[in-house]
Amino acid sequence: MSTLTAYLQRYPRLNAWFNRWWDWAGAVGVRTKILGIVLTLTIVLGLGVTWQVRLMMTYTLIAELEERGVSIASDLAARSVDPILLNDTFALYELLTEIQTNHNDVAYAFVVDPQGRVLAHTFEGGFPVELLTINSISGEDFPQQVRYMSNQGIMHDFVMPIFNGRSGFVRVGMNEERIQRVVNTVTGQMLLTTLLVALIGIAAATFLTWLLTRPILQLVETTRQVGQGNLNVRAARWANDEIGTLADAFNQMVDDLKASQQAIAEKEAARTRLLAQLINAQEEERRRIARELHDGVGQALTSIMVGVKLLGQTADGQTFAQKRAELRQVAEETLHSVRLLSRQLRPSVLDDLGLVAALERYAAEFATTYPNLTVDLHCHLPHRLDPPVEITLYRIVQEAMTNAARHSGATTLSVLLSTRDGRVQAIIEDNGRGFDPALARRAGNSVGLHSMTERAELLGGQVNIESGSDGTTVYVEIPQ
Amino acid sequence: MEIELGIRKVNRKNVVLLVVLLLLVLLTGCAAAQAENLPYVNLEHRQPLPPIAPAEVKPLRIAVAAILSPQGTAESYSELADYISKKLDRPVELVQRRTYAEVNDLIAQNKVDIAFVCTSAYVVGHDTFGMELLAAPEVNREQVYYSVLIVPADSPATSIADLKGKVFAFTDPMSHSGRAYPTYLLRQELGVSPEQFFSRTFFTYSHDRAIQAVAERVADGAAVDSLVLDYALQRDPSLKDRVRVIHRSPPFGIPPVVAPPQASPRLKARLQQLLLDMSNDPEGRLVLQHLGFDRFTLIEDRVYASARKVIQTVGELK
Repeated sequence: MSTLTAYLQRYPRLNAWFNRWWDWAGAVGVRTKILGIVLTLTIVLGLGVTWQVRLMMTYTLIAELEERGVSIASDLAARSVDPILLNDTFALYELLTEIQTNHNDVAYAFVVDPQGRVLAHTFEGGFPVELLTINSISGEDFPQQVRYMSNQGIMHDFVMPIFNGRSGFVRVGMNEERIQRVVNTVTGQMLLTTLLVALIGIAAATFLTWLLTRPILQLVETTRQVGQGNLNVRAARWANDEIGTLADAFNQMVDDLKASQQAIAEKEAARTRLLAQLINAQEEERRRIARELHDGVGQALTSIMVGVKLLGQTADGQTFAQKRAELRQVAEETLHSVRLLSRQLRPSVLDDLGLVAALERYAAEFATTYPNLTVDLHCHLPHRLDPPVEITLYRIVQEAMTNAARHSGATTLSVLLSTRDGRVQAIIEDNGRGFDPALARRAGNSVGLHSMTERAELLGGQVNIESGSDGTTVYVEIPQ
Repeated sequence: MEIELGIRKVNRKNVVLLVVLLLLVLLTGCAAAQAENLPYVNLEHRQPLPPIAPAEVKPLRIAVAAILSPQGTAESYSELADYISKKLDRPVELVQRRTYAEVNDLIAQNKVDIAFVCTSAYVVGHDTFGMELLAAPEVNREQVYYSVLIVPADSPATSIADLKGKVFAFTDPMSHSGRAYPTYLLRQELGVSPEQFFSRTFFTYSHDRAIQAVAERVADGAAVDSLVLDYALQRDPSLKDRVRVIHRSPPFGIPPVVAPPQASPRLKARLQQLLLDMSNDPEGRLVLQHLGFDRFTLIEDRVYASARKVIQTVGELK
């Protein structure tokens, strides 16, 4: 094709023609193309062969007619010598009639004497005198042949001398009409055959087109349905050919699409749940803080206010000093509880001293909260990490540790932090009773697991959980 | 858009149809083109032929009996006819008929001026309507000829008796050498008629064709004019290997040149003199030589006595 294009480029006129043709041929359907090819081939072949056969037949039959004409004229010339010499005009007439009767193509025959006067002829009711001048008896080279047009069709007139011309000349007219008729009949038959073959070709092409386009059209329909969101349709595989392979590939694509859509749907559901729980947790947290502030800090500040008022009414110096010490105690306790609250919301040590320090403090607090659990923390981080990485790792480790303490019934918990190949790795391992992470995820109530995964994935990392009867290991990996 | 496409499709089909039609027209058009530039004759445009106008000068009519085939006669005698025409300064017409009897009829009705007839035809013509002798050719210084019996070269026959039950070719019913003599011979020697003796007989209506019939074994035997046989052998020596003579008759008077009894005496005398003078004229000698004659001489009716006897024995020749 490219060679063709390059060739065509050199002839702009031809190129224009080709483009116009292609505009036309390229726009029609496959059915029309195949039909066009079949019909064009059939018709061109049929007409070509008909043309050739017609030419050859006409040529051969006319040559044969001429040969026969010469032979008949010679025969007639030989046989008319005696009747002419014996002056037997009737025998001559009989001879001519017999020749005309026995040979289909002989239109007429007549005999002239050496002076050109007609002695006998086969015409009824007179003689066409014009015929005498159409062929010459004065030639040297016999037989002489003249082809002419008559009211009966194209004629071949042969002249043959009788007894070297001493007794006269015989003239025989051969009609081409029968040949034309035969040729026309054969041509008609061949054209009919061509038509028949063309019809068969149309049928075959239609069948072929149907065979070819049916899977394609069905594939198009399937695509449309898939486009409308119906992922349960599949393209039928008709044959083990290119179109079959296409159908396979298409089906594979729909399968993949369905799987990925399912995954998206699952993730979406989890996200929705997470969001709900997050909002819930946030409200819970606010309520707790509100209660803490109201019950703890609020009560303490109220008692301080009451204490300060009473202090103003106290005149006694000893009681005053005692009361002031009590008030200071209350304020100190309140400050402590506010600080604790603040640290619980967000450990400021994470911002100030980094992940390692934050985790160490958290582990210390964790040990006081869960005295039955031994925590083993190993941190091998050469430098401080980016703030998002630090907070993410902090929260994931916090969640994993809380989970282990709350649900696994473990007695030891080991946390290992290290960097490897530009990634930060955290391994949280317990010796608890273990659980099925997939089941837990699907159950939908494990906000903690989802939030761990979400946090890691936000930074391009991942969380893997391996769990068995002898414990659970959470692997976290995040790029630095 | 679809409707437009539909119309375009229909148009394309029309285009295909048009192309097919064009090709067909071309196909037939070629045949028609061949017919061009040919002269035209309407064969239905017929008219009666003008009658052949009678010649301004009445031609002299020479009849030649079919001793030879029509073509052979025309070849042999046309030179003589031309010679006479030149001498008389008058057109000459050579008249032939299939049988001797037809020629005799022409002579009897004075429709010919001069005729070359067979011996028997003369005898019958002389005796029935007074056919007149003008002259007779001389061959080998004799005015006689013979009837010879021929058979195919490989035939075991040595006489006419051996041809019993065979196929025999006669020349003409009125021929002396070709029919009268062999019939006479059978009657004299074996006392039978040809119809009894031969299984089949047929007429060839000329001597050269009788020779041909034997040479090609169409007939097992034939009786022919010795002059014709000699002439044929001279022209085609290979005949010697194909035909064999088993019998030769006694001499008979040679076939003469005759005239009708009603012909003008002046013309008869003129023609007689012309024939007799031929041998004195170099041109005439050449014509005679081609005919195989030495010259023409006068002849008398008594020369034909022996032939007349044979004819009378055989009976009427028809």
